Amino acid sequence: MSEHVSQTNRVLSYPKGGKPAIITNEWQVWHGDETELSNLNPKQKVLVPFSWWLMHGQAQVKDSTSELAKRIQEKTIGVWFAADDDILKHLDVIEAGKSIWPLVGADFPVFRDGRSFSTAALLRERFHWTGEIRAIGDVLIDQLILGARSGFDSFALRADQNTDVALKQFDLFSVRTQNSWRDCRSQLSNQLTEAV
Amino acid sequence: MYKYDYIDQTLVNERVTQFKDQVQRRIDGSLPEEEFRPLRLQNGLYHQRHAYMLRVAIPYGLLSSEQLRTLANISEKYDRGYGHFTTRQNIQFNWIKLEETPAILADLAKVQMHAIQTSGNCIRNITSDAFAGVAADEYVDPRPVCELLRQWSTLHPEFAFLPRKFKFAVCGAKEDRTILLCHDVGISLKKNTNGELIADIYAGGGMGRTPILGSLIKESLPWNVLPSYLTALLRVYNRFGRRDNIYKARIKILVKALGPEEFARQVEGEWASIKDGDDNFQQSEWDRVAKHFTKPAYKTAEQISTEDLVQSALENERAAFARWLERNVKAHQVPGYASVIFSLKPHGSVAPGDATTEQMLAIADLADQYSFSELRVTHEQNLVLADVEQARLLELWHKAKAQNVVLPNIGLLTDIIACPGGDFCSLANAKSLPIAKAIQERFDDLDYLHDLGEISLNISGCINSCGHHHVGNIGVLGVDKDGQEWYQITLGGEQGNHAAIGKVIGPSFGAEQIPDVMADIIDTFVKHRTADEPFIETYRRLGVTPFKEAAYLNRSKESSAAGATA
Ligand code: HEM
Ligand code: SF4
Repeated sequence: MSEHVSQTNRVLSYPKGGKPAIITNEWQVWHGDETELSNLNPKQKVLVPFSWWLMHGQAQVKDSTSELAKRIQEKTIGVWFAADDDILKHLDVIEAGKSIWPLVGADFPVFRDGRSFSTAALLRERFHWTGEIRAIGDVLIDQLILGARSGFDSFALRADQNTDVALKQFDLFSVRTQNSWRDCRSQLSNQLTEAV
Repeated sequence: MYKYDYIDQTLVNERVTQFKDQVQRRIDGSLPEEEFRPLRLQNGLYHQRHAYMLRVAIPYGLLSSEQLRTLANISEKYDRGYGHFTTRQNIQFNWIKLEETPAILADLAKVQMHAIQTSGNCIRNITSDAFAGVAADEYVDPRPVCELLRQWSTLHPEFAFLPRKFKFAVCGAKEDRTILLCHDVGISLKKNTNGELIADIYAGGGMGRTPILGSLIKESLPWNVLPSYLTALLRVYNRFGRRDNIYKARIKILVKALGPEEFARQVEGEWASIKDGDDNFQQSEWDRVAKHFTKPAYKTAEQISTEDLVQSALENERAAFARWLERNVKAHQVPGYASVIFSLKPHGSVAPGDATTEQMLAIADLADQYSFSELRVTHEQNLVLADVEQARLLELWHKAKAQNVVLPNIGLLTDIIACPGGDFCSLANAKSLPIAKAIQERFDDLDYLHDLGEISLNISGCINSCGHHHVGNIGVLGVDKDGQEWYQITLGGEQGNHAAIGKVIGPSFGAEQIPDVMADIIDTFVKHRTADEPFIETYRRLGVTPFKEAAYLNRSKESSAAGATA
């Protein structure tokens, strides 16, 4: 694994309405520095930085002879958003991306930086993004529930995380007191009496 | 008083299980301290100077006698026989063992309590008026809104890792008793001309290193759209609040940098796309919650005049009882009733806000006997029995006396707000508690205190301002200079509708000088005040100069102050 490409073997996939499962990762995250995209294995699916896409990707989409265009056609290119990417400034790019990118990622530079929760929420609420959104970076077990509710449906866990504990996270709470991407807040039908 | 339904109770029970597992993983080493830290903070568990400290949430300061008994038992079983009521209407236990916290949380869950989000960079416990529902000057009872927001913010997934902590206060009365403008978001509830419940939203207030009063960013918001509006507001803050510098991470810095108009515009832009979503509160939710805040079964009772009340006491008790009625008993919405404040500020003996196990148990009994089994915690760190029959005030006074909570110093100089400071807090620059004690001992004469009238004195052990020194008429701030403890004085701060941030008067003082400095400031006030003028008005009329001169004149002779600057 080089510095500019990272890949976690284990991805926790938790589709909306489905069950959480550990799956093999097919996507590598390219950080956009040094090495050219063309140097990366053309067979491998790649998430490119959104900022790189803005600079290089868009132009090449139209140039069908380019290597990138080919990859796009093969659905092996997606983008990832850095925590400080202001996605609302690029409404049309992301709108267009809906039919191009099979997967988008949002990065956690450090687990306690919660910006990407809002990125995922905006993608779901504002852009009505229906495809997969993957949490990448410093993704830890104890942030999984938050991510799952904000809009993520897959998680590239940091390598040292215990997958057994991870898989059990989503069963911890059977109720919720606010709406989220997955569920509405739990409401008692008015007939039910007060508990306990 | 709100009662958990099945959903609230299940959530809290499941939270206990979740945290138990996290503690277990910490103990077995699979969860490193750095990664455990924000998790435990989101459960109110700090690592302090001597031990772990657990902060338990008292949502909007409302407490049942049964809950207080549980807190008392926790203080007995897991701590050292006392608890500390805080300026954010919570309670802290200072001597907690990590491995015992899951058991404490389980005890709390049995009485519908928890420690969720009492710390950490998330939406904190929501504070409100300690006299909500009974205050004579109330427009609207804020508690149903507080409770709905408590639910909405509890374990909110998108806002659990904000740039910094996030504090809401909600107020529904003419007189603000919540320091609304010193909160990240202040919600001021009113009724419009059609009788509909609406909210004015203030954002970007806070104390700490950069004290700023919040700005009005939204007027007349219908109560039911609070979730979508606050989601929009927090989303802007979560995305654009500064994360590079902890001192600049509060929303106040963002609001200041953008300007309140631009901040409001961005929130509005975000809100536009979600305002009609199904996130908003439903009338049925209001109905379910609000029915817990209906009036208790008041008797029909005659209003009794203070004079008659005083006459009902034995002759040798009358002066003391009258003082208590004047300072510690407040007007009520219902004729024949009053609200009683128990002072947790006895002179010179314990930390402001501390209550022992025995006191908590006894006060719980008093709440059962005299106030429909309910209590409130004030942000001044006192306790309130909100619904006491006037006819029983004398009886209550007698019984409460035995618990040492009837000192008639509410609102007076010795009703000091103080943070735990260097005695407990690992962030402190200086001790707060001995300063509070020394001042209380110096001003121990109740007659004199009553003559001085309303003065707020607030002490913080460091610039974080947990003791609210910025909004004290007199503020004391612990500062560190060359490893020594010094104290900086601010004057002119105020809470309430004319909230103001105090001004530093000059170089700081040594601990031993503080009682004398206070005496000089107070003497200056006495010398210049007209009739019954309160301190803050004399200060406003005269400005800082005479106070400053008095404070430094005598000091200039004392060599220990030389060279000490803030
Ligand atoms: C014991 C450990 C404590 C720690 C580590 C701590 C930490 C902090 C920090 C860092 C701030 C600065 C906030 C800012 O940036 O504006 C602050 C402010 C504050 N804290 Fe604490 N605190 C502690 C105890 C307390 C206690 C005991 C109370 C109540 C008695 C309290 C209530 C508050 C309040 C009301 C503020 C005022 C500032 C605001 O609301 O903006 N904290 N605390
Ligand atoms: S003001 Fe400072 S010293 Fe006092 S409790 Fe807060 S952080 Fe600790």
